Amino acid sequence: MDASAAGKTFPPYEFHVERGKIREFADAIGDSNPIYHDPAYAAGTPLGGIIAPPTLLRTFLYEPGVAADALKVADWSYIVHGEQEFEYLAPVKAGDVLTAQERIVSITEKDSRRAGKLQIAVIETTFHDQCGEKVQVARRTLVETSKRIEA
Amino acid sequence: MPPSFNAVKVGDAPPPLVYGPLTRTQFVRYAGASHDFNPNHHDEVYAKANGNKAVFGMGMLAGGFCARLLTDWLGDGALTRLRMRFASRFWPGDVLTCTARVTGVGEGARAGLIECEFSAVNQDGEVIIRGDATASLAP
Repeated sequence: MDASAAGKTFPPYEFHVERGKIREFADAIGDSNPIYHDPAYAAGTPLGGIIAPPTLLRTFLYEPGVAADALKVADWSYIVHGEQEFEYLAPVKAGDVLTAQERIVSITEKDSRRAGKLQIAVIETTFHDQCGEKVQVARRTLVETSKRIEA
Repeated sequence: MPPSFNAVKVGDAPPPLVYGPLTRTQFVRYAGASHDFNPNHHDEVYAKANGNKAVFGMGMLAGGFCARLLTDWLGDGALTRLRMRFASRFWPGDVLTCTARVTGVGEGARAGLIECEFSAVNQDGEVIIRGDATASLAP
């Protein structure tokens, strides 16, 4: 990883939280909760409509993947997703148009007996909705090992 | 019905949620739904060339299983924070069991909030993912 990328903030980008994507994602994690599937049911709940499952927004960070590109990783097979965190400030609903902005919070080094020298990057993404309200913050930790972890 | 804040106690736990035996098809389905196209999760030839015995599941797939355990238990929209650490890989054929428990009940300014821990373990009891969460419950 390029340690000089630490502290960089990237241009915001917009994406749509579509009902079909919510359904597809809920099906992929085997979640049949009608709050993700049934508009009539969801409209009758206090949330008022179909909402995003808790881990959905991670899926919008692969493309364009600006922060990940800035790490200049030589070989992604040496990268491990170590940790993921979300803060939920307001529900994300089907139909929302969100703006995501990524920032590389830190890149640090550590020694590991199992995987050699490690570089650890923390990337934070803030999500604002179409009204400008901050609705969610995601933090992911990517670890680059200096040797592959065999299994 | 989700637990009420006034009734919830440290140690309270939902029934475990069991997923599996997991299949390569589930990994591929999650790849499509999540846009995680790391070939270690869908391309057996690539995964083996990289020292893996097979393709392995995405940490976020196990994370999605655990998040479902929490939302089924605590209610839709209750989570205010969710953190997960990916401890070990999981493979086609594995059976993951997700469990959670209340570790703290908020007082004073944090009244209404509870703290939980959760994990998913495989059929050998090996921890695949562990984490902690905060949720807001109605009185």
